[in-house]
Amino acid sequence: MKLKKDEVVWLLIFISPAICLFFLFFILPILFLFVTSFTNWDGIGAEFVGLENYSKLLNKKSFIRAITNNLYWCVTAALITVPLALIVALLLAHRSRGWKVFRTVLFIPQVVSSAAIAMLWAAMFNAEYGLVNFLLEIIGFSDFEKYNWLGNVRTANAALIGFSLCYVGYFMVIMLAKTAGISDDYYDAANIDGATQFQKDVYITAPLIKSTFFLCIILAVIFNLRQFEYVYLMTAGGPANKTQVLVVYIWNELSVQRLGRGNAAGVIMICIGAALLLILRKLLKSETYN
Amino acid sequence: MKKDLSINFYSIFKWVIIISFVLYAVFPFLWLILASLKTNAELLDDPFALPEVFQFKNYADAMEAAGLGQLIINSLVISTSATFLNILFSSMCAFAIARHTFWGKNVLFLMITAGILVPLNALIIPYFAIINFLNLYDTRLGLILVYCAVGLPVSTFILTEFFKSIPKEIEEASFLDGCNFVSRYFKIMLPLAIPGLATAGTFQFILCWNEFIYAMLLTSSTEIRTIQFGISYFTNQFFSDYVGMFAAVVISILPSITVFILFQERVITGLTAGSVKG
Repeated sequence: MKLKKDEVVWLLIFISPAICLFFLFFILPILFLFVTSFTNWDGIGAEFVGLENYSKLLNKKSFIRAITNNLYWCVTAALITVPLALIVALLLAHRSRGWKVFRTVLFIPQVVSSAAIAMLWAAMFNAEYGLVNFLLEIIGFSDFEKYNWLGNVRTANAALIGFSLCYVGYFMVIMLAKTAGISDDYYDAANIDGATQFQKDVYITAPLIKSTFFLCIILAVIFNLRQFEYVYLMTAGGPANKTQVLVVYIWNELSVQRLGRGNAAGVIMICIGAALLLILRKLLKSETYN
Repeated sequence: MKKDLSINFYSIFKWVIIISFVLYAVFPFLWLILASLKTNAELLDDPFALPEVFQFKNYADAMEAAGLGQLIINSLVISTSATFLNILFSSMCAFAIARHTFWGKNVLFLMITAGILVPLNALIIPYFAIINFLNLYDTRLGLILVYCAVGLPVSTFILTEFFKSIPKEIEEASFLDGCNFVSRYFKIMLPLAIPGLATAGTFQFILCWNEFIYAMLLTSSTEIRTIQFGISYFTNQFFSDYVGMFAAVVISILPSITVFILFQERVITGLTAGSVKG
């Protein structure tokens, strides 16, 4: 649509709030992050220190542990949570009676705040009154009485990953929505050929929602890279830094005023995110077209 | 006969899987509600048994002890204003992008939507510095601005796609009738886009209500603090009052679940719209 002259002014007025906010809270912070990561900024003064922050970080065991833990979260989400979500989506795609109720209920953990979920599951794993130990005892594992899942070096990470499976519903809903667009013709043809429900799910539905499956993997990786609340509220990175993740690490640097160092960690985090996205796009794109 | 058996087997498998995931998602919440109605002694004694008397006063205690009323009001004020501003600004921008051609339009849209992929939590230190520089530390306005900006990429994306799906003819007719830019937006586009606005608004509200890290980062006083940050204080403050903590958690999750149940079709279509692009 062609604009009159005075309407160009209005157009500028319309896009400027979004541009200002975007500049102030996306572009400026990223520039700021990069610049200060080369300084020893502590909130008061800053001096240029070159790559010192980076070399210090990369030589720190706890920081490397944070990176590997983040990758561990990403990989489990991509290889366990999303495939499980695919299975549930395929099964709910039959649209059997009550499927909408199941969809709604499975989605609920997604709309509850991470802070509340973290506190809820910390209580579930609690050694004194937690339900996990109680249920284990009921089914016969008596050795778990008063077992502290989150406080033990051996089980802390496994417990964190285990509870994160309650987010299956989110990815399931995305994939389930995609199945709604599949034409009935495919299934009619399969019925004529005498295909079973299982065959229809595996050979028709699953391949047709492949691109959404890959999208879910990308989303899962982004979410797990930026996650903070679970680790911060459930273990605070402990025991012995075993469950440390990047954002909690940055938070800790912030609380001791090592802002330059924290920002260097932020830069590394953004680079890891970009690298993961590029790798996934490459991998999954070649998959899609083959 | 054999075929029937395999069908039955598959359908049993199906229900076992579905039911077990539903239990996994819901069972902890049911336990949370149950536990919030017990006394601390009952909880430690047997976490799963029904309480002798339902302790509804745990809720009253939690409201009073932690000042939850104030926290809820703060959260409501901050979430609704941030949602309103976010939807206003992103719909204005989306209207400009979806309906007009101007220099740099595609770059603008790509840049803003690429913001969805930025791991924002890496930027906590710069956000802290910027909010301090603007003199907005420990103010509601500071949090409102941050939430409004954080949700901008998703809202702009959803609304631009939605505006594009509205037929151009209506707007063109009004253009010929001499309807100017601003009234085309307010009188033609916004009323037609109500479903899209509701989708983006629901997402934004849930995001604001649930947000934790910036609330912890950018506020310090109880008069400003939001409920999500408030409930985490329970872990330190009343470390022995578990049932009070559970009651507080239940109170904190009710609003977002209510909004979701009311607008669930919108949330789910919103997710689909977002995933179409791939």
